[in-house]
Amino acid sequence: MRKTPLHPLTWWIWSFAVAICVARVNAPAFAIASVGVVGVIVYFFREDAPWGKSFIWTLKLAAWILVIRTYIAVVIGVPIPGTTIFSLPQIPLPSWMPGVRIGGAVTLERISSAISEGLIICAIIVIFGAAASLTSPHRLLRVLPVYMYEFGVSVVIATTILPQLVTSFSRIRTAQRLRGQSIKGFASYRRVAIPLLEESLARSLDLAAAMDSRGYGISRKRSRYRPIRWRFVDTAIVATGLIVMGLS
Amino acid sequence: MIKFSNVSLIYPNSTKTVIENLTLEISEGELVLVIGATGSGKSSLLRLINGLVPHHTGGILAGDISVNGLSTREVKPGGLAHLIGIVGQNPINGFVADTVEEELAFSMEALNLAPETMRKRVEEVLDLLSLASLRARTIATLSGGEQQRVAIASALVLHPKVLVLDEPTSALDPIAAEEVLSILHRLVHDLSLTVIIAEHKLERVIGFADRILHISGDGNSVIGTPDEIMKISSIAPPIVHLARALGLEEVGLSVRDMRRMTENVRANTPLSSPHINPVSHIPVIEIKKLSMVHGTTIALNEVSATIFDNEIVAVMGRNGAGKSSLLRSIAGVSDGATGHVHVHSINSKDLHSKVRRATIGYIPQEPSDLLYAQTVSQECAHADRDNEIAPGSTYTLLTQLVPGISLHAHPRDLSEGQRLGLALSIVLSANPKILILDEPTRGLDYEAKKSLTRILLEFATVFNRTVVLATHDVELVAELATRVIFIADGDIVADGPTIDVLLSSPAFAPQVSKVMSPQPWLTVRDVVAALEANAP
Repeated sequence: MRKTPLHPLTWWIWSFAVAICVARVNAPAFAIASVGVVGVIVYFFREDAPWGKSFIWTLKLAAWILVIRTYIAVVIGVPIPGTTIFSLPQIPLPSWMPGVRIGGAVTLERISSAISEGLIICAIIVIFGAAASLTSPHRLLRVLPVYMYEFGVSVVIATTILPQLVTSFSRIRTAQRLRGQSIKGFASYRRVAIPLLEESLARSLDLAAAMDSRGYGISRKRSRYRPIRWRFVDTAIVATGLIVMGLS
Repeated sequence: MIKFSNVSLIYPNSTKTVIENLTLEISEGELVLVIGATGSGKSSLLRLINGLVPHHTGGILAGDISVNGLSTREVKPGGLAHLIGIVGQNPINGFVADTVEEELAFSMEALNLAPETMRKRVEEVLDLLSLASLRARTIATLSGGEQQRVAIASALVLHPKVLVLDEPTSALDPIAAEEVLSILHRLVHDLSLTVIIAEHKLERVIGFADRILHISGDGNSVIGTPDEIMKISSIAPPIVHLARALGLEEVGLSVRDMRRMTENVRANTPLSSPHINPVSHIPVIEIKKLSMVHGTTIALNEVSATIFDNEIVAVMGRNGAGKSSLLRSIAGVSDGATGHVHVHSINSKDLHSKVRRATIGYIPQEPSDLLYAQTVSQECAHADRDNEIAPGSTYTLLTQLVPGISLHAHPRDLSEGQRLGLALSIVLSANPKILILDEPTRGLDYEAKKSLTRILLEFATVFNRTVVLATHDVELVAELATRVIFIADGDIVADGPTIDVLLSSPAFAPQVSKVMSPQPWLTVRDVVAALEANAP
C-alpha cells in the first residue's frame, strides 16, 4: 500500500502556527526547543526529493544570519547599559546622525539581547524551511485557486528545469576539469556559462516543441487530475499546531 | 494514415533542400523505419508529420502533408496532439512534471479531459508499458530506459493514431532497447498504431520494420520493404554486411534467417580457436578498492582492476550500473570516491592542468561540454596555446581525423560526429597517454562510427596507448575492444578478453557471432579472415 501524502497545506498551516508561538513566547529557549521538534519531524517525514533538502539549507542560512546579526550588533548598535565585557574604539560620527554609534563599549546585555532576538528570527525561518521540506512545491501549486493555475503551471515547469540546470552546471564543470582547465576565477565561469547557456536554450526549444505537440494551450479550460483531499490526519496535525498557538 | 504529396523542405539561410519532392503514403498499423546519415534530415522529416517543422522551426515547405485527413498546413502541432504522439531524441528535455503520474496527466489536463477519463487512461497506459510500479517516482531518478517508456506512455494517453519516435534506443543498453522495441511491436500489432522511427542502430530495429525510408541527404529518398532497401543501401547492419561479404543472393534480416542461409559456411569450416591479442605486462592504470556512494545507492563497490599498455578496454553494463562513475574515478574527478586509482603510478586525483592533459584525455558523454569558444578556429587555437604546440597543429589533427570542417563554423552547428571529432582532436593535441571516452557512439551513424573505430585503433596500436571506453554498442566493442569489463550494480562481474565476455552472454553477443556460433567470430572481418585462411 502506497503511503498517502498529506494535504500540501497541512504542514504550512502547522508551521505558521508554531512560528506565531515562537514570536509570541519570545524566549530563546522555546525557539531552540521548537527548532528541535521541527527537526525531528523533518527527519522522519521528509521526502527523498530535491525540495527535501531545503530544511538543511535554511538551517545553514539561519546560522549565517545569526552570526552576521550578532557581529553587526557588536560593531554598530544602540548602547544598552550594563556589565561591559570589552570596548571597541569608537568612530566619531557627525552630529546629524544621532542615535547611531560605531564601536564603543560592548556590554553583556547588548550581546545577549542580540543573540536572543537573532535566535527567534532564525527559528521562524527554519520552521518555514521545514514546511518547504515536507511539502512538494508541485503539489502545493495544485491546490492553488483556478485563476492562479496557469501561472502555477509555468512555476512547476521552472522548478522542474532548475535541478536539471544544476546537474548540467556540475557536469560541464567536471568536463572542464577533465580538460585540465582551472575551475577557479572569473574566466572559468565564462567557460562554463557559454556551454550552459547554449544547452539551456536548446533544452527550452525542445521543451517548447514537446509542450506544443502535447496540446498545451489548445483548450481554454484545463481540467485537473486527481483532486487533493483533506483528510482526518491533516485536521489532527493542524489542530495540534493551533492548540499550541492558543496556549502560548 | 499519413500522406506526403510532393513535399519539399528548405530551411532559411540555407541553400540545400532537406527533402525534395517526397511523395509517400503510410497506412494504418505500419511500422516505418527512417534511416539516413546524421544531418540527412531524418529528424526534420519526423517533425514534419505533426507540423513542428515548419511551425516551430521556420523554413519553407512546399507540397502537402496530411494525417488522417488533416493537413499540417491548416492545423498547428497542438491541434494534432490527439492524433499524433511524438517522442523526441532526449525525452528528459520534454518532461514537464516531477512524478510519472502527473507527467502522464499533463497532456490530458491541457486538453481538458474529465478527471474520471484521465484516471482510467493513466491506469491503462501504466499497464500497457509496465510502469505501474514507478507511478509515484520522481522522473529525474528513473533510468534511461524507464524515462523512454514514460515518454512513450505520455504520448499514448491521448490515444493517438500515430506514434513518432526519434532515436528511441540510442541511449539505451541492449536489454532496455529490446524492451522498448518489443512494446512498440506490440502496440503496432494489438492496437494497429502507426509507428514511425528514426534510428541509427539498425541491428536493433530492422527486424521490427514493415518498410524502410532511406534518406540520402541530397534530397533524394527511397522507400521499400527492408529486403529491397537492404540490397542497395550503404547504411546496413552487420548482418547485411555479412551476407554481402559471403556473396549470398538474399539478405537475411534476422539471426534466424541468416543462420539458415549460412548453414553450409559453418559446416564446411573446421571450428577455429578464438584469436586473442597478446597483452603487454606494463600496468598503466591500477584501480584498488574503489568505492563510491551516491546518496543511498552504491555506484561502485570496492572495484579493483589493472589496465595495461595498449589495451582497448570496453566498460559495459546496464544503464546506471556505474560505468560513468568508474570512468570519472579513473580520471580522478569524482570527489566522493574512496580507494586508489594510480595512473602511471601517480594518484589520478593529483593531476592538474598540463600534466593532466598529457596523462589522461577524457571525452565526456556530451563532447560539447569541453567546448566553449565561438568558432572551431578559436577552439583549436586555445588547445594550441594550452599545450604549447605550434599554432595550427590542432586544426591539422582535426582535418586528419574528420576532414571537411570549416574553421569558421560554430561548434554547436557541427554534426554529432564532427563535434566528437573536434573534441577528440583537442584532447589528443595534448598527446595523452590514456584516452577515456564515455558513451562515444550516441547519435553517431555507421560512417562516423567507422572513422571513430579507425582513430581509436590507430591511437592504441600505432602510438602504443591505452583506451578505456564505456558503451552500450555491442558491435563497436566487437570491432574495437581487446578486453571487456562488465559492471553490474557497482561490481565487476566479468573481466576478460572481448571474445570470452561477449560470447558468454546472449544479450551482449554481436549479431555476427549469433549467426556464426559456435564459431568464435565477432565481426564480418573475422569471418572473412577465417574463411580466407581455410580456402584451399
